[in-house]
Amino acid sequence: MGQRLVLDGVGVRFGDAAALEGVTLSVKPGEKLAVIGASGAGKSTLFRTLTRSVALGSGSVTVGGRNLYALSWRELGATRRRVGTIHQAYNLVPELSAGMNAALGEVGGLGRLATLRTLLLGPDAGLSRRVEGALQQVGLGERVRARTADLSGGQQQRVAVARLLVQRPGLILADEPFAAVDPVTAERVMAALLDLNREGATLLVNLHDVAAARTFPRIVALREGRIAFDGEPKDLTDEMLAGIYEGDEKRVQHEEEKLGSRRREPMRVAEGRDGVSAH
Amino acid sequence: MASRPTSPPGLGGAIPRFSWPVSLALLVILGLTGWSAYGVGFDLVELLSGGGAVERFVSEMFPPDLSAATLRATGVGILETFQMSFLGALIGAIVAFPLAALGTREAPTVGMSSVERLLAAIPYHVARFVLNVFRSVPDILWALVFVVALGLGPFPGMLALAVHSAGVLGKLYSETLETVPSRPVEALRATGATELQAFLFGRLPQAMSGFASLTLYQWECNIRSATILGFVGAGGIGQQILISMNLFDYPKVATLVGATIVVVLLVDRFSAAVRRRLMS
Ligand SMILES: Nc1ncnc2c1ncn2[C@@H]1O[C@H](COP(=O)(O)OP(=O)(O)OP(=O)(O)O)[C@@H](O)[C@H]1O
Ligand SMILES: [Mg+2]
Repeated sequence: MGQRLVLDGVGVRFGDAAALEGVTLSVKPGEKLAVIGASGAGKSTLFRTLTRSVALGSGSVTVGGRNLYALSWRELGATRRRVGTIHQAYNLVPELSAGMNAALGEVGGLGRLATLRTLLLGPDAGLSRRVEGALQQVGLGERVRARTADLSGGQQQRVAVARLLVQRPGLILADEPFAAVDPVTAERVMAALLDLNREGATLLVNLHDVAAARTFPRIVALREGRIAFDGEPKDLTDEMLAGIYEGDEKRVQHEEEKLGSRRREPMRVAEGRDGVSAH
Repeated sequence: MASRPTSPPGLGGAIPRFSWPVSLALLVILGLTGWSAYGVGFDLVELLSGGGAVERFVSEMFPPDLSAATLRATGVGILETFQMSFLGALIGAIVAFPLAALGTREAPTVGMSSVERLLAAIPYHVARFVLNVFRSVPDILWALVFVVALGLGPFPGMLALAVHSAGVLGKLYSETLETVPSRPVEALRATGATELQAFLFGRLPQAMSGFASLTLYQWECNIRSATILGFVGAGGIGQQILISMNLFDYPKVATLVGATIVVVLLVDRFSAAVRRRLMS
């Protein structure tokens, strides 16, 4: 299902500042890995190179053996359709219903006529059923018709997960998916992502939480646009971490706050009908 | 360079400090003020002594003419004005929409060749140019053009409003489309949606309530414009006002103007209330 990703000497510049420099990375199909790094280290930019959403200054990105940046429009569209993204927030269209947003996971595959039909009448019966199933799976079965803007941040994030479930992508790019949600939602979202990974999708998660990153079999750390660490979590020492996050005051604070709040309120166990189906 | 002992540390206020550019701007504004006042023959004495003529004009308006014939003429004029402004706004909106969609600048797709970039820019510039022409010619001038081409009456007046509205709405629509949060749009594009799909499902839904509110406001403006288009023979209540003025029938003018003010205020209130609901 997933395809092999190879980044070779990738460099990205914005003006005269380098966001990425000489990044070389290979990801096997179906692998899961966590990307960590200080604010501004280039984590989001790294993900954007994988959908050709940013211009390359140097190097190459290969997806499934083909140079991503040399594909025709049609091929690029087909490749992107296999990529599912989920961000920390703001990646849904607030004016549309939750169901429509989830259905948009499939929109790239629609022809012109089907696009128009979906725009005016909504998704067809088959897609509607899948959308409902996906929303049920994330515990939002009754909110299919709710305006997305009226949902809470955590519920919106679950809609974004439902969109992934509808799309069934071969590569999942999750850019700080938990930054704006409560711990219970975070856990549900993570469980859903891991499920998709178990079914064969490659999973790249950009995390702000080093403890969470350590649960992944592989960690890639970026520092000022370069790869500072790539390996198993057990090889990641505290000194290395200190170097990776050096000068990122905000993060240290953030981490301390989080520890504090964790200690104060123990995580509540989700009750009854909600939550991503846990296995 | 590093040390400037004269300037005390601090952030300064919200109003720019007295600096060379600011003083220069002040001088220019003062100069323009004097020159313009001279140009228009600004004269307070004349303004105050003109009171007598206005008083006479106003006193001749009273009592307003409330005869059946005048009331009927007023009703017809008001309805015509209303119809012109409504159709003008509606047709304007319909014409504005595709032009606005073309006249909206999308972030260029990564990997586009310069030729493709150039080709993609052509519809944008054509649409922008058309909208600019529609908008920058005032509706009363459009009315003159259409009256000359089609003759007197409300139809050329409605066309004038439609063309001008299309220009104004097209510009405002495309501004709305451009300022809509782009992250959802980019998210769609990154998952393989075509440009058109990203526009239809990502950008457009976010702009819709803005469109509705802008269109209502344009209708409101059209009502106001429609009342004076009659002065160049383009129908509506203005035409009646002009005729009565020329006949020195001031009581009738009073009725017509009074009715116009009432209708404009009513539409204003109505559209403001609807727009408030749209925004929330
Ligand atoms: N569109 C852009 N234009 C200009 N500079 C940009 C742009 N996008 C990113 N940058 C710069 O590139 C660098 C890397 O940004 P990136 O968003 O990849 O960081 P990040 O690691 O995701 O940070 P964060 O953890 O805060 O999200 C930053 O210095 C940023 O200012
Ligand atoms: Mg980021």
